[in-house]
Amino acid sequence: MKARAVKGVRKNITVCPDCDLLLEVSPPRPGYKITCPRCGCILAAPVKDSVEKTMALSLTGLFLFPPAIFLPLLTLDILGLESTGSIYASAKAMVESGFWFTGIAVFVTSILVPFIKLLLLFLVSLQVRLGRSDASTVFMFKTYSRLDEWGMLEVYMIGILVTIIKLLHMAKIEYDMGFFCFIGLLSATLLSSSFLDENYYWNEIHIQLKKKKASKKQGTLLNKRVLKELKSGG
Amino acid sequence: MGDKGKTERPKTGLEAGLMVCHECHKVVGIPSDGSSADCPRCASKVHPRKPNSLMHSWALVITSLILLFPANLLPIMKVEYMGAAEYSTIMDGIIYFFKEGSYGIGIIILVASILVPVFKIIGIMMILISIHFRIDSWLEHKTLMFRFIKFIGRWSMLDIFVIALLTALVDFGFLSTIAAAPAAPFFCGVVIATMLAAEVFDTRLIWDFPNDTICHHCHMNSDKK
Repeated sequence: MKARAVKGVRKNITVCPDCDLLLEVSPPRPGYKITCPRCGCILAAPVKDSVEKTMALSLTGLFLFPPAIFLPLLTLDILGLESTGSIYASAKAMVESGFWFTGIAVFVTSILVPFIKLLLLFLVSLQVRLGRSDASTVFMFKTYSRLDEWGMLEVYMIGILVTIIKLLHMAKIEYDMGFFCFIGLLSATLLSSSFLDENYYWNEIHIQLKKKKASKKQGTLLNKRVLKELKSGG
Repeated sequence: MGDKGKTERPKTGLEAGLMVCHECHKVVGIPSDGSSADCPRCASKVHPRKPNSLMHSWALVITSLILLFPANLLPIMKVEYMGAAEYSTIMDGIIYFFKEGSYGIGIIILVASILVPVFKIIGIMMILISIHFRIDSWLEHKTLMFRFIKFIGRWSMLDIFVIALLTALVDFGFLSTIAAAPAAPFFCGVVIATMLAAEVFDTRLIWDFPNDTICHHCHMNSDKK
Protein backbone atom coordinates (compact mmCIF):
# COMPACT_ATOMS: atom_id res chain seq x y z
CA MET A 1 0.00 0.00 0.00
CA LYS A 2 1.22 3.45 -0.81
CA ALA A 3 0.14 6.58 0.95
CA ARG A 4 -1.41 9.34 -1.14
CA ALA A 5 0.01 12.81 -1.50
CA VAL A 6 -2.51 15.47 -0.51
CA LYS A 7 -3.31 18.93 -1.70
CA GLY A 8 -5.88 20.29 0.75
CA VAL A 9 -5.74 19.67 4.47
CA ARG A 10 -7.83 16.71 5.55
CA LYS A 11 -8.02 14.14 8.28
CA ASN A 12 -5.42 11.39 8.78
CA ILE A 13 -2.67 13.74 7.77
CA THR A 14 0.87 12.64 8.32
CA VAL A 15 4.26 13.85 7.20
CA CYS A 16 6.94 11.53 5.86
CA PRO A 17 9.86 11.63 8.32
CA ASP A 18 12.39 11.02 5.53
CA CYS A 19 11.31 13.44 2.80
CA ASP A 20 8.77 15.76 4.49
CA LEU A 21 5.98 14.93 2.04
CA LEU A 22 2.49 15.72 3.28
CA LEU A 23 0.45 12.53 3.13
CA GLU A 24 -2.97 11.16 3.79
CA VAL A 25 -2.83 7.75 5.38
CA SER A 26 -5.76 5.50 6.13
CA PRO A 27 -5.14 3.15 9.06
CA PRO A 28 -3.59 0.04 7.51
CA ARG A 29 -4.54 -3.58 8.08
CA PRO A 30 -2.11 -5.84 9.94
CA GLY A 31 0.41 -7.42 7.62
CA TYR A 32 0.38 -4.50 5.18
CA LYS A 33 3.01 -1.83 4.98
CA ILE A 34 2.34 1.77 4.10
CA THR A 35 5.20 3.42 2.26
CA CYS A 36 5.83 6.97 1.20
CA PRO A 37 5.10 7.28 -2.54
CA ARG A 38 8.03 9.64 -3.04
CA CYS A 39 10.96 8.22 -1.10
CA GLY A 40 9.77 4.73 -0.13
CA CYS A 41 10.07 5.30 3.60
CA ILE A 42 8.00 2.83 5.61
CA LEU A 43 5.35 4.91 7.38
CA ALA A 44 3.44 2.15 9.12
CA ALA A 45 3.82 -1.59 9.34
CA PRO A 46 1.19 -2.86 11.73
CA VAL A 47 1.62 -6.27 13.31
CA LYS A 48 -1.19 -8.37 14.75
CA ASP A 49 -0.88 -8.81 18.54
CA SER A 50 2.32 -6.82 18.47
CA VAL A 51 2.44 -6.20 22.23
CA GLU A 52 1.95 -9.83 23.22
CA LYS A 53 4.45 -11.17 20.69
CA THR A 54 7.06 -8.56 21.53
CA MET A 55 6.64 -9.12 25.26
CA ALA A 56 6.95 -12.89 24.97
CA LEU A 57 10.05 -12.69 22.76
CA SER A 58 11.82 -10.05 24.82
CA LEU A 59 11.22 -12.13 27.95
CA THR A 60 12.65 -15.17 26.16
CA GLY A 61 15.65 -13.07 25.21
CA LEU A 62 16.13 -11.95 28.81
CA PHE A 63 16.13 -15.57 30.00
CA LEU A 64 18.65 -16.61 27.35
CA PHE A 65 20.84 -13.59 27.97
CA PRO A 66 23.02 -14.73 30.91
CA PRO A 67 23.92 -18.15 29.47
CA ALA A 68 24.49 -16.72 25.98
CA ILE A 69 26.87 -14.06 27.25
CA PHE A 70 28.70 -15.78 30.08
CA LEU A 71 28.83 -19.45 29.08
CA PRO A 72 31.67 -20.46 26.74
CA LEU A 73 30.78 -20.32 23.05
CA LEU A 74 33.52 -22.55 21.74
CA THR A 75 36.22 -24.85 23.04
CA LEU A 76 39.48 -24.82 21.18
CA ASP A 77 41.72 -27.86 21.26
CA ILE A 78 45.30 -27.48 20.03
CA LEU A 79 47.47 -30.52 20.64
CA GLY A 80 45.56 -31.37 23.80
CA LEU A 81 45.64 -27.83 25.15
CA GLU A 82 42.14 -26.55 25.67
CA SER A 83 40.85 -23.02 25.73
CA THR A 84 37.34 -21.58 25.85
CA GLY A 85 35.89 -18.17 25.19
CA SER A 86 32.59 -16.42 25.89
CA ILE A 87 31.28 -13.07 24.70
CA TYR A 88 31.94 -11.53 28.09
CA ALA A 89 35.47 -12.99 28.06
CA SER A 90 36.13 -11.45 24.64
CA ALA A 91 35.31 -7.95 25.88
CA LYS A 92 37.30 -8.56 29.07
CA ALA A 93 40.33 -9.90 27.19
CA MET A 94 40.30 -6.82 24.98
CA VAL A 95 40.34 -4.48 27.98
CA GLU A 96 42.97 -6.57 29.77
CA SER A 97 45.31 -6.53 26.79
CA GLY A 98 45.40 -2.74 27.06
CA PHE A 99 42.81 -1.79 24.45
CA TRP A 100 40.25 -0.33 26.82
CA PHE A 101 38.50 1.80 24.18
CA THR A 102 38.00 -1.14 21.84
CA GLY A 103 37.09 -3.38 24.78
CA ILE A 104 34.45 -0.95 25.99
CA ALA A 105 33.08 -0.64 22.45
CA VAL A 106 32.77 -4.44 22.27
CA PHE A 107 31.17 -4.54 25.73
CA VAL A 108 28.67 -1.81 24.92
CA THR A 109 27.64 -3.04 21.47
CA SER A 110 27.47 -6.76 22.20
CA ILE A 111 26.45 -6.95 25.88
CA LEU A 112 25.20 -3.74 27.45
CA VAL A 113 22.99 -2.32 24.67
CA PRO A 114 21.40 -5.66 23.68
CA PHE A 115 20.55 -6.28 27.34
CA ILE A 116 19.12 -2.82 27.95
CA LYS A 117 17.15 -3.06 24.72
CA LEU A 118 15.52 -6.35 25.72
CA LEU A 119 14.81 -5.11 29.24
CA LEU A 120 13.26 -1.84 28.06
CA LEU A 121 11.21 -3.59 25.39
CA PHE A 122 9.85 -6.03 27.97
CA LEU A 123 9.02 -3.33 30.51
CA VAL A 124 7.37 -1.08 27.91
CA SER A 125 5.33 -3.96 26.49
CA LEU A 126 4.26 -4.96 29.99
CA GLN A 127 3.14 -1.46 30.87
CA VAL A 128 1.31 -1.02 27.57
CA ARG A 129 -0.38 -4.41 27.97
CA LEU A 130 -1.50 -3.63 31.51
CA GLY A 131 -2.63 -0.15 30.47
CA ARG A 132 -0.33 1.48 32.99
CA SER A 133 1.85 3.68 30.83
CA ASP A 134 3.31 6.74 32.49
CA ALA A 135 6.14 9.19 31.90
CA SER A 136 8.70 6.44 32.49
CA THR A 137 7.20 4.38 29.64
CA VAL A 138 7.71 7.29 27.27
CA PHE A 139 11.30 7.68 28.41
CA MET A 140 12.02 3.95 28.15
CA PHE A 141 10.52 3.61 24.68
CA LYS A 142 12.42 6.65 23.46
CA THR A 143 15.65 5.21 24.85
CA TYR A 144 14.90 1.91 23.14
CA SER A 145 14.52 3.54 19.72
CA ARG A 146 17.67 5.56 20.26
CA LEU A 147 19.71 2.49 21.20
CA ASP A 148 18.28 0.29 18.47
CA GLU A 149 21.18 0.70 16.05
CA TRP A 150 23.88 0.18 18.65
CA GLY A 151 23.06 -3.39 19.59
CA MET A 152 25.11 -5.57 17.26
CA LEU A 153 24.37 -9.19 18.15
CA GLU A 154 23.88 -10.24 14.53
CA VAL A 155 27.24 -8.76 13.60
CA TYR A 156 28.77 -10.71 16.48
CA MET A 157 27.14 -13.88 15.13
CA ILE A 158 28.90 -13.45 11.79
CA GLY A 159 32.04 -12.67 13.80
CA ILE A 160 31.76 -16.04 15.54
CA LEU A 161 31.40 -17.78 12.19
CA VAL A 162 34.44 -15.98 10.78
CA THR A 163 36.42 -16.94 13.89
CA ILE A 164 35.43 -20.58 13.47
CA ILE A 165 36.54 -20.61 9.85
CA LYS A 166 39.77 -18.86 10.79
CA LEU A 167 40.63 -21.47 13.40
CA LEU A 168 39.25 -24.50 11.62
CA HIS A 169 42.49 -25.68 10.09
CA MET A 170 44.69 -25.34 13.15
CA ALA A 171 42.52 -26.54 16.01
CA LYS A 172 39.69 -28.84 16.90
CA ILE A 173 36.59 -26.77 17.69
CA GLU A 174 33.75 -27.85 19.91
CA TYR A 175 30.50 -25.94 20.15
CA ASP A 176 29.46 -25.28 23.71
CA MET A 177 26.18 -24.41 25.40
CA GLY A 178 26.83 -20.69 25.06
CA PHE A 179 26.87 -20.98 21.27
CA PHE A 180 23.36 -22.44 21.12
CA CYS A 181 22.03 -20.03 23.72
CA PHE A 182 23.50 -17.19 21.68
CA ILE A 183 21.66 -18.36 18.57
CA GLY A 184 18.46 -18.39 20.64
CA LEU A 185 19.16 -14.94 22.05
CA LEU A 186 19.86 -13.57 18.59
CA SER A 187 16.64 -15.03 17.17
CA ALA A 188 14.59 -13.68 20.09
CA THR A 189 16.13 -10.22 19.72
CA LEU A 190 15.64 -10.05 15.95
CA LEU A 191 12.08 -11.36 16.11
CA SER A 192 11.10 -9.10 19.01
CA SER A 193 12.16 -6.01 17.09
CA SER A 194 10.50 -7.21 13.89
CA PHE A 195 7.19 -7.76 15.73
CA LEU A 196 7.40 -4.32 17.29
CA ASP A 197 4.78 -1.96 15.88
CA GLU A 198 6.11 1.41 16.98
CA ASN A 199 3.13 3.42 15.78
CA TYR A 200 0.74 1.25 17.77
CA TYR A 201 2.91 1.48 20.88
CA TRP A 202 3.14 5.27 20.70
CA ASN A 203 -0.60 5.64 20.12
CA GLU A 204 -1.42 3.29 22.95
CA ILE A 205 0.99 5.04 25.34
CA HIS A 206 -0.50 8.41 24.40
CA ILE A 207 -4.07 7.22 24.96
CA GLN A 208 -3.19 5.69 28.32
CA LEU A 209 -1.40 8.84 29.45
CA LYS A 210 -4.41 10.96 28.47
CA LYS A 211 -6.76 8.66 30.38
CA LYS A 212 -4.54 8.89 33.44
CA LYS A 213 -4.52 12.68 33.30
CA ALA A 214 -8.29 12.75 32.88
CA SER A 215 -8.84 10.42 35.83
CA LYS A 216 -6.49 12.48 37.98
CA LYS A 217 -8.48 15.63 37.17
CA GLN A 218 -11.69 13.86 38.01
CA GLY A 219 -10.15 12.72 41.24
CA THR A 220 -9.19 16.24 42.29
CA LEU A 221 -12.59 17.56 41.27
CA LEU A 222 -14.27 14.91 43.37
CA ASN A 223 -12.04 15.71 46.31
CA LYS A 224 -12.93 19.38 46.06
CA ARG A 225 -16.61 18.59 45.92
CA VAL A 226 -16.33 16.33 48.95
CA LEU A 227 -14.39 19.02 50.82
CA LYS A 228 -17.02 21.63 49.94
CA GLU A 229 -19.81 19.37 51.06
CA LEU A 230 -17.99 18.65 54.29
CA LYS A 231 -17.44 22.35 54.88
CA SER A 232 -21.01 23.33 54.12
CA GLY A 233 -22.26 20.40 56.11
CA GLY A 234 -20.02 21.18 59.07
CA MET B 1 10.90 31.24 -11.23
CA GLY B 2 8.55 31.48 -14.17
CA ASP B 3 5.10 30.22 -13.39
CA LYS B 4 4.86 28.68 -16.86
CA GLY B 5 7.49 26.05 -16.43
CA LYS B 6 6.50 25.33 -12.86
CA THR B 7 5.20 21.82 -12.58
CA GLU B 8 2.84 21.14 -9.76
CA ARG B 9 4.56 19.15 -7.11
CA PRO B 10 3.19 17.69 -3.92
CA LYS B 11 3.04 19.74 -0.77
CA THR B 12 5.56 19.25 1.97
CA GLY B 13 5.03 19.34 5.70
CA LEU B 14 7.00 22.57 5.93
CA GLU B 15 4.65 24.31 3.49
CA ALA B 16 1.62 23.08 5.40
CA GLY B 17 3.12 24.30 8.68
CA LEU B 18 3.58 20.79 10.01
CA MET B 19 6.60 18.94 11.28
CA VAL B 20 7.05 15.36 12.34
CA CYS B 21 8.54 14.28 15.67
CA HIS B 22 11.77 12.45 15.10
CA GLU B 23 11.30 10.13 18.04
CA CYS B 24 7.68 9.05 17.76
CA HIS B 25 6.66 10.37 14.31
CA LYS B 26 3.75 12.40 15.61
CA VAL B 27 2.73 15.33 13.43
CA VAL B 28 3.10 18.61 15.26
CA GLY B 29 2.30 22.12 14.08
CA ILE B 30 5.30 24.41 13.50
CA PRO B 31 5.08 27.37 15.92
CA SER B 32 4.66 30.78 14.29
CA ASP B 33 8.30 31.75 14.85
CA GLY B 34 9.42 28.59 13.08
CA SER B 35 11.38 27.26 16.04
CA SER B 36 11.09 23.99 17.91
CA ALA B 37 8.15 22.71 19.92
CA ASP B 38 7.66 19.98 22.51
CA CYS B 39 6.08 16.80 21.22
CA PRO B 40 2.74 16.31 22.99
CA ARG B 41 3.16 12.55 22.81
CA CYS B 42 6.77 11.82 23.76
CA ALA B 43 7.89 15.19 25.19
CA SER B 44 11.00 15.45 23.02
CA LYS B 45 11.98 18.62 21.17
CA VAL B 46 10.65 18.66 17.62
CA HIS B 47 12.36 20.76 14.98
CA PRO B 48 11.22 21.39 11.40
CA ARG B 49 14.68 20.13 10.42
CA LYS B 50 17.36 18.69 12.67
CA PRO B 51 19.38 21.71 13.84
CA ASN B 52 22.85 22.09 12.32
CA SER B 53 22.50 18.71 10.71
CA LEU B 54 24.86 19.43 7.79
CA MET B 55 27.58 20.84 10.01
CA HIS B 56 27.47 17.90 12.41
CA SER B 57 27.49 15.39 9.57
CA TRP B 58 30.47 17.07 7.95
CA ALA B 59 32.39 17.13 11.22
CA LEU B 60 31.78 13.44 11.85
CA VAL B 61 32.50 12.36 8.28
CA ILE B 62 35.78 14.26 8.27
CA THR B 63 36.66 12.71 11.63
CA SER B 64 36.06 9.24 10.25
CA LEU B 65 38.04 10.05 7.11
CA ILE B 66 41.02 11.04 9.25
CA LEU B 67 40.69 7.94 11.41
CA LEU B 68 40.40 5.73 8.34
CA PHE B 69 44.13 6.09 7.55
CA PRO B 70 45.59 4.81 10.82
CA ALA B 71 42.85 2.17 10.92
CA ASN B 72 43.98 0.70 7.63
CA LEU B 73 47.71 1.40 7.67
CA LEU B 74 48.57 0.34 11.21
CA PRO B 75 48.50 -3.32 12.20
CA ILE B 76 45.21 -4.42 13.73
CA MET B 77 46.15 -7.86 15.05
CA LYS B 78 49.17 -9.31 16.82
CA VAL B 79 49.77 -13.06 16.65
CA GLU B 80 52.45 -14.45 18.95
CA TYR B 81 53.67 -17.89 18.10
CA MET B 82 56.48 -19.46 20.17
CA GLY B 83 57.45 -16.05 21.46
CA ALA B 84 57.72 -14.45 18.02
CA ALA B 85 55.21 -11.65 17.43
CA GLU B 86 53.74 -11.08 14.03
CA TYR B 87 51.65 -7.99 13.23
CA SER B 88 49.10 -7.84 10.46
CA THR B 89 46.96 -5.07 8.99
CA ILE B 90 43.38 -5.56 7.81
CA MET B 91 44.58 -6.02 4.23
CA ASP B 92 47.12 -8.65 5.32
CA GLY B 93 44.31 -10.65 6.89
CA ILE B 94 42.27 -10.51 3.69
CA ILE B 95 45.25 -11.50 1.51
CA TYR B 96 45.89 -14.38 3.91
CA PHE B 97 42.36 -15.70 3.40
CA PHE B 98 42.63 -15.40 -0.37
CA LYS B 99 45.96 -17.27 -0.35
CA GLU B 100 44.45 -19.96 1.85
CA GLY B 101 41.67 -20.39 -0.67
CA SER B 102 38.83 -19.29 1.63
CA TYR B 103 37.50 -16.77 -0.87
CA GLY B 104 34.06 -16.50 0.75
CA ILE B 105 35.38 -15.38 4.11
CA GLY B 106 37.99 -13.18 2.45
CA ILE B 107 35.27 -11.37 0.54
CA ILE B 108 33.13 -10.97 3.68
CA ILE B 109 36.00 -9.32 5.55
CA LEU B 110 37.01 -7.24 2.52
CA VAL B 111 33.46 -5.93 2.20
CA ALA B 112 32.81 -5.42 5.92
CA SER B 113 36.09 -3.81 6.95
CA ILE B 114 37.36 -1.99 3.87
CA LEU B 115 34.63 -1.44 1.29
CA VAL B 116 31.83 -0.59 3.74
CA PRO B 117 33.66 2.17 5.67
CA VAL B 118 35.04 3.71 2.47
CA PHE B 119 31.66 3.52 0.74
CA LYS B 120 29.97 5.03 3.78
CA ILE B 121 32.32 7.99 3.95
CA ILE B 122 32.23 8.66 0.20
CA GLY B 123 28.46 8.20 0.08
CA ILE B 124 27.69 10.61 2.92
CA MET B 125 30.14 13.14 1.46
CA MET B 126 28.48 12.89 -1.95
CA ILE B 127 25.07 13.54 -0.42
CA LEU B 128 26.38 16.47 1.64
CA ILE B 129 28.13 18.01 -1.36
CA SER B 130 25.03 17.59 -3.53
CA ILE B 131 23.01 19.45 -0.89
CA HIS B 132 25.57 22.25 -0.77
CA PHE B 133 25.44 22.68 -4.53
CA ARG B 134 21.66 22.29 -4.49
CA ILE B 135 21.59 19.46 -6.98
CA ASP B 136 17.98 18.37 -7.22
CA SER B 137 18.35 15.24 -9.31
CA TRP B 138 18.68 11.62 -8.22
CA LEU B 139 16.67 12.43 -5.10
CA GLU B 140 15.21 8.98 -4.73
CA HIS B 141 18.56 7.35 -5.37
CA LYS B 142 20.28 9.54 -2.83
CA THR B 143 17.67 8.63 -0.24
CA LEU B 144 18.04 4.95 -1.07
CA MET B 145 21.81 5.19 -0.84
CA PHE B 146 21.54 6.91 2.52
CA ARG B 147 19.21 4.22 3.80
CA PHE B 148 21.67 1.60 2.63
CA ILE B 149 24.55 3.43 4.34
CA LYS B 150 22.55 3.50 7.55
CA PHE B 151 21.79 -0.20 7.26
CA ILE B 152 25.36 -1.37 6.62
CA GLY B 153 26.90 0.96 9.20
CA ARG B 154 27.08 -1.51 12.02
CA TRP B 155 28.55 -4.39 10.00
CA SER B 156 32.05 -2.92 10.05
CA MET B 157 32.37 -3.91 13.69
CA LEU B 158 32.77 -7.48 12.43
CA ASP B 159 36.57 -7.46 12.40
CA ILE B 160 36.73 -6.02 15.91
CA PHE B 161 34.45 -8.77 17.24
CA VAL B 162 36.55 -11.43 15.51
CA ILE B 163 39.74 -10.08 17.08
CA ALA B 164 38.10 -9.82 20.51
CA LEU B 165 36.91 -13.40 20.31
CA LEU B 166 40.29 -14.61 19.05
CA THR B 167 41.99 -12.78 21.93
CA ALA B 168 39.83 -14.68 24.40
CA LEU B 169 40.06 -18.04 22.60
CA VAL B 170 43.66 -18.22 21.50
CA ASP B 171 45.40 -17.86 24.82
CA PHE B 172 47.90 -20.71 25.12
CA GLY B 173 50.61 -18.88 27.00
CA PHE B 174 53.98 -19.31 25.33
CA LEU B 175 52.69 -21.48 22.51
CA SER B 176 50.39 -18.95 20.93
CA THR B 177 48.41 -15.83 21.80
CA ILE B 178 46.42 -13.34 19.77
CA ALA B 179 45.83 -9.73 20.75
CA ALA B 180 44.65 -6.51 19.18
CA ALA B 181 47.18 -4.04 17.77
CA PRO B 182 47.21 -0.21 17.55
CA ALA B 183 44.75 0.08 14.64
CA ALA B 184 41.85 -1.42 16.61
CA PRO B 185 40.75 1.73 18.49
CA PHE B 186 41.06 3.80 15.30
CA PHE B 187 38.94 1.28 13.46
CA CYS B 188 36.29 1.42 16.21
CA GLY B 189 36.44 5.19 15.92
CA VAL B 190 35.73 5.01 12.17
CA VAL B 191 32.67 2.82 12.74
CA ILE B 192 31.30 4.97 15.57
CA ALA B 193 31.93 8.27 13.75
CA THR B 194 30.29 7.11 10.50
CA MET B 195 27.29 5.72 12.38
CA LEU B 196 26.89 9.04 14.21
CA ALA B 197 27.31 10.97 10.95
CA ALA B 198 24.40 9.03 9.47
CA GLU B 199 22.43 9.47 12.70
CA VAL B 200 22.65 13.28 12.79
CA PHE B 201 21.99 13.73 9.08
CA ASP B 202 18.47 14.85 8.19
CA THR B 203 17.31 13.08 5.01
CA ARG B 204 14.65 15.73 4.45
CA LEU B 205 17.43 18.10 3.41
CA ILE B 206 17.88 16.00 0.26
CA TRP B 207 14.30 16.76 -0.69
CA ASP B 208 14.30 20.47 0.08
CA PHE B 209 14.23 21.67 -3.50
CA PRO B 210 16.74 24.31 -4.47
CA ASN B 211 14.06 26.54 -5.99
CA ASP B 212 12.19 26.53 -2.72
CA THR B 213 12.21 29.60 -0.57
CA ILE B 214 13.74 27.68 2.30
CA CYS B 215 16.76 29.19 3.97
CA HIS B 216 19.72 27.00 3.31
CA HIS B 217 21.15 27.38 6.78
CA CYS B 218 18.30 27.51 9.22
CA HIS B 219 15.74 25.72 7.02
CA MET B 220 13.12 28.38 7.68
CA ASN B 221 10.62 29.15 5.01
CA SER B 222 11.36 32.77 4.18
CA ASP B 223 8.45 33.11 1.79
CA LYS B 224 6.48 36.00 3.24
CA LYS B 225 3.90 37.49 0.96
